[in-house]
Amino acid sequence: MKIAEKITAFAVMTIITTASAATLFNSGFYKGDKITFKKLAEGGFTRTISEKTADSFPFSKELRSVAAEIGAKAGEPVVNRVYISEDRLLYANEYDISSADRCAAAVNAFSSSYDGAVYFTAVPTSTGIYGDSLPSYLLPVTEKQLTEEVHNKLNSNIRRIDAYTILKNLSENYIYYRSDTKWTSYGAYCVYRTVIQKLGFIPVPYDKYAIRHVTDSYRGNLYSRTGYMESREDILDIYEYDDGTEIISCTGTDSQGLSREISLYDTEAANSANPYSLYLGESMEFIEIRTTVNNEKSLLVIGDETADCFIPFLTKHYSRIDIVSADNFGEIIDNYTNKSEYEQTLFILGMEHISEKYRGE
Amino acid sequence: MTYSSLLFIYIFLPLSLIIYLAVPKKLKDTVLYLESLIFCGFMGLRLAAFMMMYCFLNYTAGLLIYRISPKLKSIPLAAGILFDVLMLISFRHSYFAYLHGFTKLSEAVFPVGISLFTLSAIGYLTDIYKGNSKADKNFIRFSLYLMMFPRLIIGTIVSYDTFVHILRKRRFNIAEIGSGLICFIKGLAKKVIIADSLFVLNSAVKSTPLSELSAAGAWLGIIAYILCLYFTLSGFADMSCGLCRCFGFRFPNSFNHPLFGTKIRVFVTGWHIQVLQWFRKYITSPLSSMTDNAYLSKLVFVMVWTLVGIWYSFNTGGALWGMLMGIAVLMENKLNNQKRAKPNGIIYTIMSITFIMIFLSQESISTGLKYLGVMFGGNGNLADSSAAYLLKYYIVILLIAVYASTDLFRNTTARIKDMRFGKIISVVTPVAVTALLIICTALMSYSGQSDTMIIRL
Repeated sequence: MKIAEKITAFAVMTIITTASAATLFNSGFYKGDKITFKKLAEGGFTRTISEKTADSFPFSKELRSVAAEIGAKAGEPVVNRVYISEDRLLYANEYDISSADRCAAAVNAFSSSYDGAVYFTAVPTSTGIYGDSLPSYLLPVTEKQLTEEVHNKLNSNIRRIDAYTILKNLSENYIYYRSDTKWTSYGAYCVYRTVIQKLGFIPVPYDKYAIRHVTDSYRGNLYSRTGYMESREDILDIYEYDDGTEIISCTGTDSQGLSREISLYDTEAANSANPYSLYLGESMEFIEIRTTVNNEKSLLVIGDETADCFIPFLTKHYSRIDIVSADNFGEIIDNYTNKSEYEQTLFILGMEHISEKYRGE
Repeated sequence: MTYSSLLFIYIFLPLSLIIYLAVPKKLKDTVLYLESLIFCGFMGLRLAAFMMMYCFLNYTAGLLIYRISPKLKSIPLAAGILFDVLMLISFRHSYFAYLHGFTKLSEAVFPVGISLFTLSAIGYLTDIYKGNSKADKNFIRFSLYLMMFPRLIIGTIVSYDTFVHILRKRRFNIAEIGSGLICFIKGLAKKVIIADSLFVLNSAVKSTPLSELSAAGAWLGIIAYILCLYFTLSGFADMSCGLCRCFGFRFPNSFNHPLFGTKIRVFVTGWHIQVLQWFRKYITSPLSSMTDNAYLSKLVFVMVWTLVGIWYSFNTGGALWGMLMGIAVLMENKLNNQKRAKPNGIIYTIMSITFIMIFLSQESISTGLKYLGVMFGGNGNLADSSAAYLLKYYIVILLIAVYASTDLFRNTTARIKDMRFGKIISVVTPVAVTALLIICTALMSYSGQSDTMIIRL
């Protein structure tokens, strides 16, 4: 038996020391949040270092893939709170129903100091539409409940647009990515048809668009979360309609206050580490879009990442669209613009944003 | 930081082991002490400071008890025990949650192992008071007794003299490290592969309101709880034993396949062995020796078991669990001396333990009683789709857990060795252990750790 122990010691110590060296020599291990003395004293840094270790670990992607395979095949198909179904990956978000109160309060506060018309739509994630098959313990609060709660708490003058029902009725279509929580461009288009009518315009018919597949090998945020190799790849589309109107300018300002020209569709991004930045590029605090639409209409959009693939549809109807990040919209509006300049404001918030931003302590 | 984390296994452990092995023998204790402080420091510098202070106060109390006149030595003993118990209650009982605000530690920070090192500290002071042991002047060695990182998390409790003996008898060779790593990875697999899966199953059942739970769901929930508790505690105990062995120390195992014995006594003698021995040595025996009355002795026995229950859970449910365990052992001794057929004995034991464990799994006696009612169809719902779903996906891990909690695997391995197939073991063991390490690493690769705990000791 001694020989077995000696071989084990050699094998295990080789694996451990090699992995240790590879992790410590990975520059990613030293990036990110700084460890302050306060964090050291209070002990709030161990989780951060653990996560850094996991991310910098050699073959971390392959290891996650192995874990996902084990999870999907050997037991309940839930990996890192992602439910692996035959068709798609679904994120089991732990919603806090009270976040509806805080979200509605923020929108109401905006509305009460604004003279224009306010429109609000909460966009479900793929789980909101396809999550019926999930066991109830994974979803104690559903997105439908959360949406209804937000709608109930909004002031009566705010016009609600029920994206949930629209998308639920179209669930047989490719309206959500299979490996991501977000809607596809087609899903966004389906909601756009209703939204734009409420805003007072006639929607562009579907058959007018030239639809281009930019990539058919997109793997979204749920793939990243699980590493599940057997999840089906997705298609990223762009919708183009040549009606004679053009984008005059599209300028984004990031959180550092730096401005640069961006485009509605950054096709080069499809091959980058973040393919979803195809839509409106990397995350910006404030985006100004000017078009040749000759109607002097202006729209303020307050939205999160969910809104990115929705915005291009609006550009055919307004001469001016400004987009404010929903993360800290009050401050951003004060810094960059004046809300009285817009006749209409559209809140377009994803359920993940509502859950994360307005979660209770 | 916990043993079941990539940070510990792949960064802290190799670095600390290499440094420990590299330094001369006379410096090893100091290095191990410093490494233990760093280990605690990973949970917060304030926590490391608390551990130093805790060790220092007990060290001082030990010296005072040993040195001052016999008439006065009960004062430092009482003060030391009072301090230890107060610290234990303060950190473990939710009523004292304000202590986190006072120490400015985040809510998540918990002095892991406080329940165990409190017992060690009280045992140390009591042994000196009784004259069974001498106070150690060596602060570092004494601190290692309470906070040595390889045995800090659910490690084995031994008396101070035994600890010093183990320290002196330390041995270093590659086979010893291999043996330690086998034990460590066995414990890691118990925690990461089995206990974590069962924790999810138990949480799934718990998330259903008791009034809506089906009988099948309730049975699944309690079975998952018992197995999860066993695999969490024995997993950490194995990890601790394995780590100690890597550092040259041989500590006894804390669990000896208690769940599928033929008597409740088998459970009692194989479950958290040294903890139950501690309660017997330092509370039951002294109190029982004060009376010749058999009924009073039995009452003491049950009361101490109640204390064990409180020590585990710090709620009324746990207290009732302890009390019922004590009563069950007494009743078994009184009524059931005849030998049972093995299957009957196993069924009798596991059913008794299951019903009693319900109370440990619940916050209060009333919810425990309600849960018991639900198990017998109290909600008018024997089975539902939710229970069927959980059974479908967890039946494999439940069967693995049941098999792994028996001694069948150990006996099979021993038989193979007896049959002179030692070479097979020599080949299979390193492959199996390496595979288990890789699987555990993969399962921890999302957050970098497996920190779900069904119980915090």
